[in-house]
Amino acid sequence: MYLSARHDFLISTQNADGGWGYFPGKRSWMEPTAYAVLSLHGVAGAESHLSQARKLVHSWRQPDGSYHPSSQVQESTWVTALGVLLDSIDRDQRALQSTDWLVGLRGSESRLAVRLANFFHLTDIPLDLAHPGWPWFPGNSSWIEPTCHTLIALKKAASLHRSYRLLSRIQEGEIMILSRRCRDGGWNAGTPVALSYDLRSYPECTAFALLGLQGRSTGEFPQALQVAETMHRDTKSSLARAWLAIALRVYGRQPATPMEDLPSSRDILLTALQALGHPEGNHRLLHPGVPHPGGVA
Amino acid sequence: MKLKRRDFIPLAAIGVASGYASLRPEEEPEPLSDGPPGKSPVAILRAKSYSDDLAARMYAGIQECGLDARGKRVLLKPNLVEFDSATVINTDAMVVAAAYEVFQKLGAAKVVIGEGPGHRRDTLDLADDAKYRATVSRFEDNFVDLNRDDVSTVRNFSQEKEFYFANTILGADLIVSLAKMKTHHWAGVTLSMKNLFGLVPGSVYGWPKNKLHYIGIPESIVALNRLFRNTFAIVDGVVGMEGNGPIQGTPKPLGVLVMGRDLVAVDATCCRIMGVDPEKVEYLRMAADLGHVKPDHIDQRGENIASVHSDFRLAPDFAGLRLS
Repeated sequence: MYLSARHDFLISTQNADGGWGYFPGKRSWMEPTAYAVLSLHGVAGAESHLSQARKLVHSWRQPDGSYHPSSQVQESTWVTALGVLLDSIDRDQRALQSTDWLVGLRGSESRLAVRLANFFHLTDIPLDLAHPGWPWFPGNSSWIEPTCHTLIALKKAASLHRSYRLLSRIQEGEIMILSRRCRDGGWNAGTPVALSYDLRSYPECTAFALLGLQGRSTGEFPQALQVAETMHRDTKSSLARAWLAIALRVYGRQPATPMEDLPSSRDILLTALQALGHPEGNHRLLHPGVPHPGGVA
Repeated sequence: MKLKRRDFIPLAAIGVASGYASLRPEEEPEPLSDGPPGKSPVAILRAKSYSDDLAARMYAGIQECGLDARGKRVLLKPNLVEFDSATVINTDAMVVAAAYEVFQKLGAAKVVIGEGPGHRRDTLDLADDAKYRATVSRFEDNFVDLNRDDVSTVRNFSQEKEFYFANTILGADLIVSLAKMKTHHWAGVTLSMKNLFGLVPGSVYGWPKNKLHYIGIPESIVALNRLFRNTFAIVDGVVGMEGNGPIQGTPKPLGVLVMGRDLVAVDATCCRIMGVDPEKVEYLRMAADLGHVKPDHIDQRGENIASVHSDFRLAPDFAGLRLS
């Protein structure tokens, strides 16, 4: 009932253009559309809805392989990772060009001038700037969440085509995530320390980090799964709980199953994620499904 | 060349860097502009606790400042930051509820509450945790997550040719900044002007809104306030935050609401109440052509500053901002 109610809600809120907005009646965006597609993947009766959605998603694809986050936004952003993820699941070769775009994108902290400034102690950034992740928006810095979305997508794309460049870029991103872990064992947006104060982790970012690090030995992030389980139990954020359920399940953990009669939210992204994180949901689609490229260089 | 710590804000605030653009030498400050002609009314009203009749005080303050909200589409913009209802991080729900009631009473055509938090993505649950849903009548029908609203572009925001904002904001006739009176470890203070950071959509720029760090924090504060001129401020200083704000500071009971149409003057007044010299606050210096920083250009209504003043503990880097 929980899962079917969410699937029904998603199908009933699909826009005429084939996509989903963040809320019913709002214009379509890549993020809720991508997660609605993943949630409805393989669901009986959803085929025509999915095919319409894929058409819209591909209409946001640019000649260089990157994706716009909606028809309203004319710049390509982190959502390119979602395009790669969907195309990789469909084994659509268009994922390869988009993968190249993502591999070439890096956080601006990796610019030489910035690294030199840090090397000569003109700054006191207690972070590893040599291993960039990915930004939300080109030209900006790396953050945990876009880095993890990209890692999930690139690892999935590696099942279509593996190259040294792709695998080494994946490793760079993983090292960035490992280096940004908070002292409490989880992750926040990407700043574990500020002005010498330890900052606390966020549950949703901890879930993203775990998803991005799939394939690595959990010994490299000890206690993180236990931290995530505690967060899943205690968080007041429904969105964070949904992400944590997905992350814990791909690691084979069994977080508490939500009450079957828990009503759907009007938040479409949340609804899609709750469906994905259900024991019978499609959370496995976020599993890389390929052997890991290797350990830390 | 001497570099100050805050010159590295774009690097440190984000933990990483765009960096070199901000490596500028410390310069003698230019003389402060007198601002626009005339004086700006700013009302300071006492409210000892959140159980006081906040709506009555707000109504009185708004009348003192001569705001006409009749027929306007009003967006109330609280400061929602973090899931931590036991602390004073967020604008108090009672202040939001009172403002919602007052602007309806003032004849606004529509009153909407909107926020786009900088770090947390679950805006509705954040509002719920801050007790907005339980306190504000028909909250969910009138709340917009500005991070995930539909968007349109505006031209010439700061140095950006085009910049995206939520359609709810662009459709508002009046934006009311319902800010919290707090210290801030990057900007010195966070008041009504910085509260407009929440107008920038996360769906385009991410969480945090890193694009603003690259523009520069003071520069972004001023650019937002230069773009949105149809504004009014109500600052929640009933209980503020001092020390390592805006998240990890400690409560500072002060018992005031500060309001006005000139957000520069409201923030300058809040600074003086907090024991901060507004003429040393970088974003206020930069905004001195938009509104009034100097006290002789601010028409103080209600309480006077001396009667409510209480020094806020400042982050060590900002000790130099102390009002002498």
